[in-house]
Amino acid sequence: MENMQAVNNFVAAYLKKKGFKEAEQLLEDLQNKESAPIDFHNDPELAKFIHRFSQSEDDVARYQDGYSKLRSWTYSSLDLYKHELLRVLYPVFIHSFMDMVAKGHLQEARTFFNNFREDHELMHSRDLQKLEGVLSQSHLEEMEFARSLRQSKVNIKICQYSYDLLLQYLHKTQSTAMLGVINEHINFQVSSGQPSSISDDAEVVTLIGSCQDTANQINQKEIHWGLLEDSLEERLEKAGGLLSDSEKTEEENKEGDADDTKKRSVESGKQGASTKKLKKEKALNATAKSARPEASTTPAAPRVKAKLPLPLMSTEVEQSILEDLRNRVQLSSVLLPSVSFYTFLNTHNGLNCSSISHDGSLVAGGFSDSSLKVWDMAKLGQQGGSSILQAENDSTSSEHVVGPNGGKRSYTLFQGHSGPVHSATFSPLGDFILSSSADTTIRLWSTKLNANLVCYKGHNYPVWDVQFSPVGHYFASASHDRTARIWSMDRIQPLRIMAGHLSDVDCVQWHANCNYIATGSSDKTVRLWDVQNGECVRIFIGHRSMILSLAMSPDGRYMASGDEDGMIMMWDISSGRCITPLMGHTSCVWTVAFSCEGSLLASGSADCTVKLWDVTTSAKVPRNEEKSGNPNRLRLLKTLATKSTPVYSLQFSRRNLLFAAGALSKNL
Amino acid sequence: MSNVPKEAIEVIAQSIGITNLSPDVAIALAPDVEYRVREIMQEAIKCMRHSRRTVLTADDVDSALNLRNMEPIYGFTSRDALRFKRAAGHKDLFYIDDKDVEFKEVMESPLSKAPIDTSVTSHWLAIEGIQPAIPENASVEAPSDGKKAEYKDDGTSVDVKLPVKHVLSRELQLYFDKIAEITMNRSFSVVFKQALLSLATDSGVHPLVPYFTYFIADEVARNLNNFPVLFALMRVARSLLQNEHIHIEPYLHQLMPSIITCLVAKRLGNKFTDNHWELRNFAAKLVASICKRFGHVYHNLQPRVTRTLLHAFLDPTKTFPQHYGAIQGLAALGPSVVRLLILPNLEAYLQLLEPEMALEKQKNEIKRHEARCVYGALLRAAGLCMYDRLKMFPSLLAPPTRPIWKSNGKVATTNKRKASTDNLMQQPPAKKIATESAMGMMPINSMQADVQGAASSFSNTVGGSNIGVSSMTRPLSNDNMLGREVGGRVSKTSTVLAQAWKEDTDAGNLLASLFELFGESMLSFTPNLSFHSSFD
Repeated sequence: MENMQAVNNFVAAYLKKKGFKEAEQLLEDLQNKESAPIDFHNDPELAKFIHRFSQSEDDVARYQDGYSKLRSWTYSSLDLYKHELLRVLYPVFIHSFMDMVAKGHLQEARTFFNNFREDHELMHSRDLQKLEGVLSQSHLEEMEFARSLRQSKVNIKICQYSYDLLLQYLHKTQSTAMLGVINEHINFQVSSGQPSSISDDAEVVTLIGSCQDTANQINQKEIHWGLLEDSLEERLEKAGGLLSDSEKTEEENKEGDADDTKKRSVESGKQGASTKKLKKEKALNATAKSARPEASTTPAAPRVKAKLPLPLMSTEVEQSILEDLRNRVQLSSVLLPSVSFYTFLNTHNGLNCSSISHDGSLVAGGFSDSSLKVWDMAKLGQQGGSSILQAENDSTSSEHVVGPNGGKRSYTLFQGHSGPVHSATFSPLGDFILSSSADTTIRLWSTKLNANLVCYKGHNYPVWDVQFSPVGHYFASASHDRTARIWSMDRIQPLRIMAGHLSDVDCVQWHANCNYIATGSSDKTVRLWDVQNGECVRIFIGHRSMILSLAMSPDGRYMASGDEDGMIMMWDISSGRCITPLMGHTSCVWTVAFSCEGSLLASGSADCTVKLWDVTTSAKVPRNEEKSGNPNRLRLLKTLATKSTPVYSLQFSRRNLLFAAGALSKNL
Repeated sequence: MSNVPKEAIEVIAQSIGITNLSPDVAIALAPDVEYRVREIMQEAIKCMRHSRRTVLTADDVDSALNLRNMEPIYGFTSRDALRFKRAAGHKDLFYIDDKDVEFKEVMESPLSKAPIDTSVTSHWLAIEGIQPAIPENASVEAPSDGKKAEYKDDGTSVDVKLPVKHVLSRELQLYFDKIAEITMNRSFSVVFKQALLSLATDSGVHPLVPYFTYFIADEVARNLNNFPVLFALMRVARSLLQNEHIHIEPYLHQLMPSIITCLVAKRLGNKFTDNHWELRNFAAKLVASICKRFGHVYHNLQPRVTRTLLHAFLDPTKTFPQHYGAIQGLAALGPSVVRLLILPNLEAYLQLLEPEMALEKQKNEIKRHEARCVYGALLRAAGLCMYDRLKMFPSLLAPPTRPIWKSNGKVATTNKRKASTDNLMQQPPAKKIATESAMGMMPINSMQADVQGAASSFSNTVGGSNIGVSSMTRPLSNDNMLGREVGGRVSKTSTVLAQAWKEDTDAGNLLASLFELFGESMLSFTPNLSFHSSFD
């Protein structure tokens, strides 16, 4: 204390000498203020308190005792404030546990953990599983999750009254151990007024390594989520505006026919598989007829400039895409898409991923035996005018590619990887395939030449996912090395490395305007990165388990992410908030896809279903009445059950026909 | 403290040759081992997820080890999940069954088949949001909420239909064997009656229905010459149909052919003494009862039955017993069927039948008898139909005709008695009249048949033509006292009909022409009793 005084005096003298009048004044004020609470020698109450505190440092039983008391107090608190107080319990619990481990009371820590883990099992089971493995001080240091937990503070929003209640309790019971933990690790954001509702405690669920504040800060950054200038869609819209009246009425007449064509297409769907290909075209035509270029109703998204130099498109390609766009079916909650399902048979549990080209004509499968196989569905449909069974057995057709071992196959085999292939993606025009593998490489294949063109080496660990950009040429990869990288086809070194995730980057997806990529990670967050400068511009927190799939809405405003538990979350990109979780799947959501005009979301899961969700309702809501967390706004439209076939990938064609692929698995 | 006990560390240490492991080391190692195992598992789960699987395999663990730059564990490379066995006597101890394989055996065993190569097929999972009912799609259950929920809950597909094994209890098997035995061998015994009663009332018979229907179908086909068995089988069929507790609809398709066979088969039984007429009557009743009971469920049931029977009836190459069966079957189906299908063809058929009944033309006694039986069946069918019509329009025979009716009542009754007592004696002359009159009546009659099928708006013209009929028949029947009397009355009736109740001319007309064809015996079917009681 005297030492302190000496320092103070020294500082004051220094300030006086230098002539810092204001600072000197401040110091003096500070000293005067401090003097009151510091005077604890005269306050017996406080002295006792501090005495207790110092004593209990070693007394591990205090934690157990204190926590159980706090717990029972919380459970018996007022209903209105209970859920807020309950949020305090989890951080207190894990930090008490880690403190005990840190102090070397391993046995007690374990019993403590086992005694109370049930309480948090529901919300935090995966975190608990991780923490369960912490058995010594060194583990705390080594395990990133534990380390980051101990270094960071948890933000808890709490209303004034709950806060008062908690303080009162802590003071009254003098449970210093708990007080210590709370002071050390919890940052209360006390708000006046009513306690917040139960539903928006999503932020508490994920304890991310970086401080909550930085996440919030990041999410303040500006995002230009608008679509690209001069995109084909835009051009089409402009053209649509110039449609003459006669053409418009014609469109309306066609609309009247839609019902007929619908019936026809349904009938044709029921026929045998022999005319499959033909029917597909018919159905396409039928659905295409009912489409109308309805330019006026789509809310005009703002336009942004591309930050990347974009590849040029040949006029023929442009024409064909425009043609597709004109014939697009306008899907809605009343007009659901047709779904064509590609089933992989006899995969012997070896299929790791599948991908479908934009027009649905090519299907690629990545296998655990390092091979990539590509099927040309158009050819399969043609040969022998065949039924499915024939196509399966009839391997003598001359169409088939002759493999190196002389056998004839219905697919093109791409060999080159030396580890399981975890992801494959088609370029927008279907002339290239990228595949990523556990051998840490990404390979570029040409479907025209049936050959490997480039091998991209850069990642140090298995590459979990690779995705072509919407315009082609560029692609993004996600890896076990906790980075995502941006590449261009003509360079063998990555253009950008996005680092920041605390665990594996499991999936990656491009934003519609190619200026951003989104990455989903095992750290339960989704991040949005600026492709140009490689900075993280959004952190989406809310998932409770590893993120497996991502999709961006075509209008660039929304993002959907699916996780291991079957939860799908819709995010508003500009605000970084979750609009609503979509619950319905019971197992891993392997894939999500937006329909081309963004009114429907399709999701495919390991529970052998494709689910269609209505997302128009949310998109149509004006921005000013933005209220998150209304579960009625997004709804499940349809569940399409497959025959014990988990759905691996989904792809909407430009005309809004939905393609799905999965491997038939007998022993689920 | 950790899940890995220090004893495990000690065992492992010993197994790799470290004998002097200090206990402190074991205690320190145990938690670390657990931590490392957890770490490996965490990575393995990631690998599993990226292989789009929900089941962890040994490969995933190997990949995880690989990620940590460790050597994989050899010897567990199977794509399928490992099969753990519970160690006997321990609740929580499992092991992988690792059989010793004789190397020689492996060498000598034939090469196993190469696995089928991967292929891709496509189908429509949904068309505009609706799942087509094709074999590639999961069977769409009726959207009952309970089912859906169940589907969601366990996450696996419930719709994989396992073949349901039909289990018959021993008692039921015994029961079936017993009934089958009695039916085949002891159909005249009292026990058989008991059995029939049991079949008709027992609610527990239901599991046996498919067996019984098969039994009946099988045995009928095999025992067409064995009259008692056929009859017994038909009785069994009737008992089954009578049973309210069983759900026999799905098996009707199997049962019907057998019954129809017993109705219109060429030969039933091999002895002359076999009263196959009775069997046919019985089968006819059975068919009619089935049509009545299930006709509304299976709309094409009765049309199909009638078509079959009509074919038999109209085919002149078929034998008389077959015709008899067909007529009986049709008659049993009700008067409207008779009116629609038999009466239009009656005229022509009687022409065919006539010579067969005549003593002088058909020498074969049996054939003659058969023909008479057919005639009797026709008479009965037509008569029942007439009875029905007259009952529907009681006013047809209201006051104006009453006196005639009264006076004729006596004639009718005597006639009936005669017909019943000496049918054989009576019929030939009656037939003669009928044919005589029929000769003249033919064209008109056929026209009448047309009208029956057509709308009633034609009744006026029919009435007119009927007058013509009567006037034509009168001179014809002159030589016969009885015929003239009848003809006169018919004409009187029909003229009255034509004038007064035009919408009912159909019935009157019918009576007239039937009378022309069958003569007096027709009158026995007129519902005189009821009229008398109502008028007197």
